Formats: sequence, structure tokens, C-alpha cells
Amino acid sequence: MNSTLTDAPLSTRQTKLSSDRSGAAPVLQVRHLEVTYYTDLGRAKALDDVSFSLKAGEKLGMVGESGSGKSTMALAMMRMIKQPGRIEGGQVIVGDTDLMSLDEEGMRKARLSKIAYIPQGAMNSLNPVTRIGAQMVDAVKAHLPSESRSAIDERCANALRSVDLDPGVARMYAHELSGGMKQRVCIAIGILLNPQVIIADEPTSALDVVTQRQVMETIDRVREKINVAVILIGHDMGLMAQFVDKVAVMYAGRLVEVSTVREMFTDPKHPYAKALISSLPNLDNKGVFQGIAGLAPSLLRLPSGCAFHPRCARAMDICTTTRPEVRTLETGRIVTCHLFNEEA
Amino acid sequence: MATIAMTSPATDEVRQPSQIILLLRYLRRNKSLGIGLTVLLLLVAFTVIGLLVVDPKHAYPLSAPSKRPPSLQYWFGTDFFGRDMLSAMAVGMWQTAVIGLLAGGIGTMIGVFFGFVSAYFGGWIDTVVKSVCQILTPIPVLLIQVVVASSLDKRDVTILTMALIVVMLAWMGPTLVIRSQVLTMKERQFVSVAKLSGVGDLGIIFKEILPNLLPFIAAAFVGQVFAAVFASFYLAVLGLGPLREPLLGNIIWAAQGQGAFFNGWWWWPIEPAVAMILILGSLALVIMGLDELANPRVRRTE
Repeated sequence: MNSTLTDAPLSTRQTKLSSDRSGAAPVLQVRHLEVTYYTDLGRAKALDDVSFSLKAGEKLGMVGESGSGKSTMALAMMRMIKQPGRIEGGQVIVGDTDLMSLDEEGMRKARLSKIAYIPQGAMNSLNPVTRIGAQMVDAVKAHLPSESRSAIDERCANALRSVDLDPGVARMYAHELSGGMKQRVCIAIGILLNPQVIIADEPTSALDVVTQRQVMETIDRVREKINVAVILIGHDMGLMAQFVDKVAVMYAGRLVEVSTVREMFTDPKHPYAKALISSLPNLDNKGVFQGIAGLAPSLLRLPSGCAFHPRCARAMDICTTTRPEVRTLETGRIVTCHLFNEEA
Repeated sequence: MATIAMTSPATDEVRQPSQIILLLRYLRRNKSLGIGLTVLLLLVAFTVIGLLVVDPKHAYPLSAPSKRPPSLQYWFGTDFFGRDMLSAMAVGMWQTAVIGLLAGGIGTMIGVFFGFVSAYFGGWIDTVVKSVCQILTPIPVLLIQVVVASSLDKRDVTILTMALIVVMLAWMGPTLVIRSQVLTMKERQFVSVAKLSGVGDLGIIFKEILPNLLPFIAAAFVGQVFAAVFASFYLAVLGLGPLREPLLGNIIWAAQGQGAFFNGWWWWPIEPAVAMILILGSLALVIMGLDELANPRVRRTE
């Protein structure tokens, strides 16, 4: 029972990967995802026409200011948007199932087995009064109720081993673990059922840099082992530069640019991405620190046209009136800006 | 652990003290819980050993010569109706405990059930449960209990009906306490993480939230036992209890009826009164102690 459920998709994914790495069918496709919060002050469009795709084993970094919609996107993909928020439209296709078309029970089953979420702030993500092992067993049992106890235990021990934790950790409580260990336990829970996509929502916030590196290396090793696509949400551009393949920049609920990490750091296209990269401290010109003027706009009162135009150094007349479309450049980069209207 | 290692530098290994030692140490710090539990255990020992040693039949009228003061033969004396007070106290305390545990247990279970359903699922269920609790809570319980108890036929009143009369109005407290706790608990991050891991509603209620609430449920249970014992006591003192049984309240009611103090039979009402004070006092101490255990913010630091 368990072998058919979990091993089969894994092996097919691997054969697909070995046959053609570049042209492999994407394991995750997000199409035109839209989320709106209906607040007392009005409608806030937290996610506006977000589309991207990921292949198995790929790592996407998702950056943007606070409130730009990164976590909303993660929760929307898990279909965990709470009232007053609503997913207005779009598709999230994992493998060949559209998560948005599943019923509640189907979605419950899809969580963790197809798409797993590694939470922000591992400190509070584990139940303080139950042993780690029991929490892992509960998560497995919610999906594979008929799996035997010994098989579940073996699965949990394997998951703990693959995040470099002793399987004995299963007998401990959350307060007996360090911050990094807790975060790795969360990763272990995330990979229990060999999902196809893992969303890590700021997995290293509140960890010191040494532990950050351990956690990131753990995620990377796990990704290689089960060939899973990883979406990493965070603010830390340095961490992103070292870790991910592609970087997506969000601004006011829209994806403004998606590029490979090299292109993003050497030749960012969108003015906001440019400003972000140039605001990074740099060893060549120490002491010079370029921020981005202005504040991120409130989602309740977005500027007309392009939401970034009041802060944009290269704003044109059209930017104040017309909303830019999402364009795919020849190199495969995605940019949402009027500057590239003719290039696309 | 560090202090142990320092006081015994000769041994390298740090030995984890056994669970019992740790419990005793905790009870020494939490004095009200320690004293309350000790008195409660002594009372339990009294009634259990008493029930094993004495003949429970002597707790009922005409089983002994009447109106004897405490002596070597009748340690607690005998009453006007010819009951051996020692047997009466043992049986009475046992019955009091049964009413308390029964009413407290049922009340807590109802409270936990409604509290969980109301807080976890919300919506109109929550509105109904909350409104009913809030309407019933301010009405004096004594009033309703007296009306209900006095409208029953005295011959039908048993220990069980006493417990049911008490529990009828004893579930709102635990419901509101558990409801408020579940409301905060269900917004905790580990609950949303469990949801994100595809754990269903039942799994979240029983595996994630309930274990966190056990101290509150224990405290609510002891509180309910206290309320139930007290209610059964005052109803019986008013003569609304099962009249045949030697409930502590009934003994006082009977003693009052026969003018025990005027006639110099002081031991007759004094003994159940002292027993009741000990029971309620120890339960109150246990409640205070459990409160400290369940709520670390009031925990004393040394």
C-alpha cells in the first residue's frame, strides 16, 4: 500500500528528470492566481495575476517587501487563505492535478503529500506538549491511515535522518530542541510523504547565521534526495544568491520579475528589482547605501497604472495610466514593466 | 540539574532525580497543593478504612443506643436516632465524595464537549452555546436548585438524583473556560501547521489542542467537584437531600431538628461540620495549587 503510494511518483519523476533536464514538464504551474481580502476599509488585492512554473528539483527564491504578497501566495497555494480573504481565480497545478479544483477532503489529502509547507518561526510550529514522534505519526496517519505502525515509524526515522537528526529526537519534546533542530524537525515533517513541491516560508528567520546555513544546506540536500521543487520565501538576498536557481521579485501583489539568480544579480530588468539589487551593501563601495525612496503602497489604495511608478526612477507617462502586462522576454525572463513593451 | 552537579562534585554523572522525588519537590514549593492533597488523602483514607472496618448498617437509625457521647465503644458518639456516628461519618463522606465526583465529572465532560464544539467550529453553534451560558450564569444557582429539589418527591431523592440536580447548573463554568482556551489555542501556529500538514479536524482537536488543555480541564474538574460537594451539602442542610442517607448535610439537618445543642449533644452537629470544613478547605487549596500549576504566570519564584 505505502510503496505504491509514495515510491511510484518518485520513480517516474526521476526518470522524467534523467530523460531531459531542460525540457522536463514543470512539476508546479501557478496560473493567474488572484487573492482578494475583503476588509472593512475596502478590497485589498493581495495577489494579482501571479503566474510561474517550476520543474522538479528547481529552487525558486521569492523576495519582496513586507506585505508584497509572498506569504499570501504560499497560503493560497496551500488553499489556507482565511476569511476575509478569498482566492478569486487561477490554477495551482502540481503534477497533473489542479489544487483549486479539489474538494476540501481532496485538498486535505494533497497537503503534505503533494505540496508541503515549512512554516516561518519554527519556535511555535511544534506542539509543546506532544512528543516530536507523535506529531510526525499523526501527520502520516492523516494521509495513510492503513499504513502499519512499524512502517510509519520507519518513515519518520528516515525523515529525521535525512535532515541530520538522530531518530531518537522522535522521543523528545519541542522544548528539548534548539531552534535549528526545531526547524529541521519541521523540514522532516514536510518531507514525510515525499511531496512534489515544498514551500519554505522564511525558514531561517530568527536563526543565527551558522544555523541558517545548516538549515539551508539541509533543505538543499533533501531537495536533491527526493527531487522536489522548492519555493523559498525570504528577504535575505545574500541567502537567495547562494541557494536558489531562480529569483522572483514581488511588489504589491504582482510578480514584477522572474529571472535566474545570475541574471537577477548582474542584470536586473525591472526598475524595482534594479533598485533592490543596488540597495544591497557591497564590498566595492563601502559606506554608500542606496535605499529605495518612498514606502510600499497600501494594498487598499494602489497607485494608478503601475503600482511602482511613484517610486520608480524611470517612470514614463504611460506608467501612471496603464497597468503593465506580464511579458516574457526572449531569454525566458518574466518582467512586468512598460520599459520592455517592444522587446517582448 | 546544575545544582546537583555542584553539590556532589565527586560523581561526574548528573543524575536525573526520579519522578516521585521531583513531584515531592514540586509539592514542597506549591504549598497549597501539597497541604490540600494531604488533607484530602487523609479524608479518603478515613472513609475507605472506615467503610472496611465498621458496619455500614450502623450508619442508619436504630442500630445503636441513642445519644451516647464519644467514648471508647462509640468513638464519635451516637445520635438521637441511634446511629453510630463513626459509621455515619464514614458512609456520609463516601456518599458526599460520590456526589462530588459524579456531578463534577459529568459537568466537566459536558463543559469540555460544548466548549470545544463552540469554540472550534464557531458560527451559530458558538452563538447559541455562549448565549445560553451567559444567560444562565448570573442566575443564583441556589434558587433553581432549591426549587427543583423541593419539587421532587422526597422518597425518590437518591444520591444519583442529588448529583443530577447539582450538575444541571454546573456545566456553564467549564464550558466558558474551555471555550476561551480553545479560542486562543486554535490560533496558535502549531495548529495551523498541523492543518497545513493535512491533519483533519478530529486529529487537531484530540492530538493538538486537547493535550494542551489537560491542566485547565483538571482545574475545572476540581472546581466542579468543589461546587458539587458544596451544593449537595447546603441542599441537604435545608432538608432537601435524600433523607434516609447519612449525608453530612442531612446529619446537620437532623441535629438541628432535634435541637442538639440545647440538649447538650454537641458532638452530633460538630462532627459533620468539621468534616465538611476539611473537605471544602482541602478542595479549595487543591484548586489554588492547580491554578498555579496550570497558569505559570502566577507561579511563585523562589
